[in-house]
Amino acid sequence: MGLDRRGFIHLIVGGAVGTLFTPIPWKFADDLSIWTQNWPWIPRLKHGEEARTATISKMCAAGCAVNIRTVGGRPVAAEGNPNNVLSQGGLCPLCAAGVQMMYSPSRLPGPMKRENDSFKQITWDEAAALLADKLNATVGKDGKLAMISGDESGTINEVLSGFAAALGATDYYLMPGDGQTSSRVWTGLMGGEGQIGFDLENADLTLFIGADALESWGPTVRNQKAFSASRPGGEKPKASYIYAGPVQTRTAAVSDAWVPVLPEGLASFTLGLCYFLVKNGASVDTRDFDSFKNLVMSHYTPDKVEKLVGLKPDTLQDLSRKLAQAKRPLVVVGSEFGQGGGQALQAAGAALNLLMGRLNQPGGMIAMPEAPKVVDAALDRKDLLAKDLVSYLMNMEKGRAATPDVLMVYEANPVYALPQSEAMAKALAKIPFKVSFSTYMDETAALCDLLLPTPHSLERFDDVYTPHGLGFSAWALAKPVSKPACDNLNSADFTLKLAKAMNIDLGFEDFESVLQAKAEQLGAMGGFFADEAAPWDVRSGAASAEAASDVWDGAQEGKAWCSVATVDQRALRLGAEVLAKAAQPSPDVSYPLSVSPTLQLNVGSQKVATPPQNLTTIRNTELRGKASFVQVCGQTAGKYGLSEGAMVKLTGPRGECAAKVHITERVMPGVVEAPLGFGHSAWDAYTRGKGDNTYKILSVTTEPGTGETVWTGSKVKIAKI
Amino acid sequence: MTHHEFKVKWGMVIDLDKCTGCGACMVACQVENNVAPMNDASNKLRTLTWMLVYELSNHKDFPEHETAFLPRPCMQCGAPSCVPVCPVVATDKNEEGGIVSQIYPRCIGCRYCMAACPYHARYFNWLDPVFPKGMDKTLTPEVSPRPRGVVEKCSFCHTRLNNARQRARAEDVDPLDFPVEWYQPACAEACPTGAITFGDLNNPKHEVNRLIKSPYAFRLLERLGTDPQVYYMSRRDWVRYQGDNHLAHEKH
Repeated sequence: MGLDRRGFIHLIVGGAVGTLFTPIPWKFADDLSIWTQNWPWIPRLKHGEEARTATISKMCAAGCAVNIRTVGGRPVAAEGNPNNVLSQGGLCPLCAAGVQMMYSPSRLPGPMKRENDSFKQITWDEAAALLADKLNATVGKDGKLAMISGDESGTINEVLSGFAAALGATDYYLMPGDGQTSSRVWTGLMGGEGQIGFDLENADLTLFIGADALESWGPTVRNQKAFSASRPGGEKPKASYIYAGPVQTRTAAVSDAWVPVLPEGLASFTLGLCYFLVKNGASVDTRDFDSFKNLVMSHYTPDKVEKLVGLKPDTLQDLSRKLAQAKRPLVVVGSEFGQGGGQALQAAGAALNLLMGRLNQPGGMIAMPEAPKVVDAALDRKDLLAKDLVSYLMNMEKGRAATPDVLMVYEANPVYALPQSEAMAKALAKIPFKVSFSTYMDETAALCDLLLPTPHSLERFDDVYTPHGLGFSAWALAKPVSKPACDNLNSADFTLKLAKAMNIDLGFEDFESVLQAKAEQLGAMGGFFADEAAPWDVRSGAASAEAASDVWDGAQEGKAWCSVATVDQRALRLGAEVLAKAAQPSPDVSYPLSVSPTLQLNVGSQKVATPPQNLTTIRNTELRGKASFVQVCGQTAGKYGLSEGAMVKLTGPRGECAAKVHITERVMPGVVEAPLGFGHSAWDAYTRGKGDNTYKILSVTTEPGTGETVWTGSKVKIAKI
Repeated sequence: MTHHEFKVKWGMVIDLDKCTGCGACMVACQVENNVAPMNDASNKLRTLTWMLVYELSNHKDFPEHETAFLPRPCMQCGAPSCVPVCPVVATDKNEEGGIVSQIYPRCIGCRYCMAACPYHARYFNWLDPVFPKGMDKTLTPEVSPRPRGVVEKCSFCHTRLNNARQRARAEDVDPLDFPVEWYQPACAEACPTGAITFGDLNNPKHEVNRLIKSPYAFRLLERLGTDPQVYYMSRRDWVRYQGDNHLAHEKH
């Protein structure tokens, strides 16, 4: 019996059909689809025991309270910590990518020193010896050592400024921010006491003047939570919000109204509102109220404000009526991008709140006790906030201040993120020996001679004390979630060790004990943990809270210590004489447009460039390829012959930058909205060379009367290229 | 398109009057779902954004101009356009909860589903996922990175649903009716303004069940009949009108 042709075909077809009734082809198809997607270069998941650790992520300026999800001890994701009042379970877009930034390609592997144009890795002992050598040469010579810190709310400033003071140096500066301007105005110009905050949670009408509070100004996530709580879904809003500023920012987009005001006119606008209140009989018990009254009644009448600001008198009157009708109105002033706003605006905002009788009232402007100090040698908080970095660097640039021999920079990027940044970078470059404590290779680190990277904020002890804008005192602890991914050392611990080696006693061996001492001090001040009662409810009398017994233990669990204590004022002034000189904008015809920089946290902050995960959040009307966009309205575009996507050059008195144009009616005529956070020259392939740096075109002027450096309302001209 | 009904329908109500467009939801989504970063993310034809925040304009000139932001996850449609066009049943709506699945190993990358989806909620992997050195240590343990040639989309963080169900079984709670806080997608959890409310649309104990009855609630392109499980809310008329992509001559 042979196999004939027919038999062969039967066998093949029968075999094929028979196979279909077995799992073989399906298993093959399944395997094929799996194996064609299962290449060795596709990252594999790693499993392990899951846990969550509460800490503070300090990617954003205010810090977000987070629970870090760990798998087998590896941090994998940041989640909001609902038990901490600072962010109440929410996250900002920077802190949302906080864990991933532990492995940023820009991260510095360990201590390094410059050798010609490159860096060579050294040991921490070598680094300490090198720095001690340089510092010893400056001991006792004021002006020879300067320090810049980019952390406004951390206790590390006490360690660093204490160390500087012990070496005889007084040049300790913070990167500029509205918190400093507010403090200079309140405790200086206005003769007040304490730190100013805003009880957003209890206000029923909040007028944000300039401050982009729901995007990047102040403690953003807490501001957003306060906004959210007052807008229950599907129900009548419990509070109204109005935004006044040159651009329909993200804050303006969700507010009930947007009042367009030129950036240089914000102070005049605020005084224009004061006019109506004073006219209706409002007064404040201060020595200079009469001069203030004379000032607003003569110089800030609605028609004069219209000339200064371009706002119709009816709009101003309508707004003042809304403020008068509200039960708990609140005015929050600030620069659109959180810095360089000038003292007149802060003083006018404070005066408006005082005229409405909103000082230390629920839903009002709160004067809170200043932070306690644990390192004796450190600068007092008030003195720390009084110092003006931009003024110092400008004086250095112009030869009016001595160039120091050594500069130490902690968590700050002054080469990139200061106004007229090219001039500032040149001034900084003149300093012979520069040290960076940055975690990342930022523009400042790239210019430095010694790099001493501090661990990422999720890998170190750190803290946050009452970031500017918070309406209550609060303290929260950051503790290491994992070991540093690189050979990094906490800058505070490094400094304390270095101090010891140089025979300087700062009173502490390590930073953890500094923070423990802080917790003890706070415990002695009273205060409570906010998981028991919300501080705003305690302030309004809707709840009460028991004093926290062990602040350190609670803080380790991720709770925030809070206090609603207020400071009574003894000799307030309204600063009328200074306001008279300061609040008038001076038009400059050679630069016809005002720049309104926008700080959006998804793009980055003053100290952190865009995390790789955040790039998708940037619209292609903000960044396309290597070009960033500036935004103008149709009227401005028409006036200067600009079309959508046209490449333009913005030229200011101290710098220029290039960008494409996006035409949007979100921007008022005469204003160019320019994004901050682009145009990095250091960092990594995800950010380097993308767009241009808006800080270059921000020009510093000196505010008449106060001498404060101001760079809001910077002027530019625009030309197609 | 077949209409699918379930006892439990997981859904969202996104309050557009609260969304500031900050992008935290997008970042939290990428982190949770192990989406690899891209060097040039300004090329929006290549990016993978399961959650994408659109900017809306009322198209009026200054000063009447208004802006709103619209976060767009997968709509998990009741009558999904993507399911019937898939030649290999890589996407289906066949599980209690009503989440439209995406089974990566089955996907052959034909992209019919992308063409069919009226919400542009589906994305094709043009490239293999590449994480910067060391960043793969931060991969969350339950969502496999997808290779080149595969379509992906928002799954309402389905692995979190699995975990919640497991927890319910372990704690002897009905796996179809557990407390809503046990299962929240990463975007809803991260949202700092609480614009995203998540829950079972059919469950009267869940906030979403109340919110979808609001006169301000609407769904995107409702007249296509896709029956999305994602609702939006806005008190602003123009925002609601744009949600239905009306033409200028049409009445509302």
